[in-house]
Amino acid sequence: MNKVIHPIEPEELMAYLDGELTADGASAAAAHLGECAECQTLVAELQSVSQSLKSWKVEPPEPAMPSAIETALAEKQPESRKLIPVPKSTWREVLGRRWPVLAWAGTAAAVLLLVFGALTPNLLRSRSSVKSSKSQMSTYLVPESAPPSASPTVTPRASGIVAGVIAEKGREQGYITRSLSAGNSSVSEQEDKSEEVEPLASSVPPVHGPMIIRTAQLSLITKEFDKARTNLEAILKQHRGFVGELKVGGNAGSGRTLTATLRVPADQLDGMLADTKKLGRVDSESQGGQDTTSEYVDLQARLSNAHNTAQRLTEILRNRTGKLADVLAVEQELDRVRGEIEEMEAERKTMLNQVSYATLTATITEDYQAQLQAVPPSTSTRLGNAAVEGYRNMVEGILSLALFLLSNGPSLLLWSAILFMPVRFVWKKVRRSFAS
Amino acid sequence: MAADVIEIGTISDEALMREFQGGSRPAFEHLYERYRGPLYGFFRRRLNGDQRAEDLAQEVFLAVIRAAEHYEPTALVRTYLYGIAMNLLAVERRRIAKDSPPGKESPEPATREAADSVLWIRQGLEKLDDSEREILMLREYEQLSYAEIADLIHLPVNTVRSRLFRARMALKAHLEPGRTISETAAASESRENVGLARAEGEAI
Repeated sequence: MNKVIHPIEPEELMAYLDGELTADGASAAAAHLGECAECQTLVAELQSVSQSLKSWKVEPPEPAMPSAIETALAEKQPESRKLIPVPKSTWREVLGRRWPVLAWAGTAAAVLLLVFGALTPNLLRSRSSVKSSKSQMSTYLVPESAPPSASPTVTPRASGIVAGVIAEKGREQGYITRSLSAGNSSVSEQEDKSEEVEPLASSVPPVHGPMIIRTAQLSLITKEFDKARTNLEAILKQHRGFVGELKVGGNAGSGRTLTATLRVPADQLDGMLADTKKLGRVDSESQGGQDTTSEYVDLQARLSNAHNTAQRLTEILRNRTGKLADVLAVEQELDRVRGEIEEMEAERKTMLNQVSYATLTATITEDYQAQLQAVPPSTSTRLGNAAVEGYRNMVEGILSLALFLLSNGPSLLLWSAILFMPVRFVWKKVRRSFAS
Repeated sequence: MAADVIEIGTISDEALMREFQGGSRPAFEHLYERYRGPLYGFFRRRLNGDQRAEDLAQEVFLAVIRAAEHYEPTALVRTYLYGIAMNLLAVERRRIAKDSPPGKESPEPATREAADSVLWIRQGLEKLDDSEREILMLREYEQLSYAEIADLIHLPVNTVRSRLFRARMALKAHLEPGRTISETAAASESRENVGLARAEGEAI
């Protein structure tokens, strides 16, 4: 093959066409291209490919902004605008600004409701209008009594509930997604609708952005161990945290160690660290963060798809008749999807909890200094101690004897009674023999 | 409100995003206007069904709204949007693969007018390796730079460039029935041999 020397690689020529070369590289490529017919052919081929690809055009989408986006914007806007100028915060603004707290509150509310649901299953079952064979499904998909378009008060509520989950056509068809038990809906419906949006929405926080699981480790040495421990608890309370695990080792008067796993709201971690450092001398400190954004987005999307699949299967069960085998197959598939949804919900909640609350592992070690007793005890003290010791020994001796008698007396009496006659007989015989 | 008055076309995506973070709805509307078509096209070319493409494009914007508070300008907004879109696409493909038996998915032209030529292009794209096809489509249709593509699919820029070149050559071979891929590769081999002798680490 007749090889021609080309100072420019073909990939570089392509990059030149794509505008990806530096100014120097581009001028070199252009200069070579001007005098090399082979490279001109290659460039023409590349351009031809791009031109061919451009022939695949897609029709423009609907120009109007979808109602779901309008609704999401409407929900978002007041919250964002309240962030800027308000000098004194009301509880609503605090909740809007501190979404991790909101998330935690929602999760706590969800847990409470679940516990409540578990304690009073009959009550909740009686309130649920869903048939018992499909009651498990109603945990996730509850048909609205009226379509959202016909009831403007329902739309924000539904979209608030599904805020964290990617809602698709289910919303349009009057379905709302709930991560809580069926009983929750009946309890919530008794409250004012505008009030119930927040706690329910906060249980499924709409997070797609950076979700960082923050961890920190802090090791301190202090001379005032007890004071440090008390202060640590006060600091934890101040930063709205809680103790995950706490261990104290060592005896009083010797070097003690406290190891605590503390959970604090993620936005409070820095303040918590700063305050904790004041408790003693910092021996070591480390911080870490794990970005779980992509995992969370992926999980939400999978969850949304699972909900959609469950919804479709429920529709099939409701609207279509067929062979028993087909119905059973759909039921089986529905059970499987439900299981997946439950697993993903649990995973999502765990992830949210980890993101909302940072983990601080604090170790506080007592800086103990052993002290010598330079002054020996006085004579009177020693005499007093000896007297106390003597009395204690006497009491111990009496007590020991009494204990011995109580424990072995019955046995001694028994053996005495058994052996008395034989011994007496032998004794008399011996005496007689000596006498004769 | 001053932030509500925004001249479209003069403000960058990143500035619009910041405005939106500050609570400006018009800023979001401008972003939506800029990207609704490209994102719809992104999904439309990769999935069957225009309704599903619209739904997924809508999901991207919903994700942006929800995450607006936590958005940090570590990457271009465009890359951010396509990153979300890529995630949603991956999930959708997994769902499709799970729901439908293999081989059931049939190509559907995105436009009726140019059905033949589109089918021709799509067949060519279908023959490409998954990664190469994705890179080629991101470059040709989404007009992303090599660095943006590398960022999105987590590959080095040089690898992106190599695969893009291979993809274009392979597609060229498909679009030219008389010329096979091996012939195309052989034609460029002589140039590559010489090119490789040059400084290998020379950056673009």
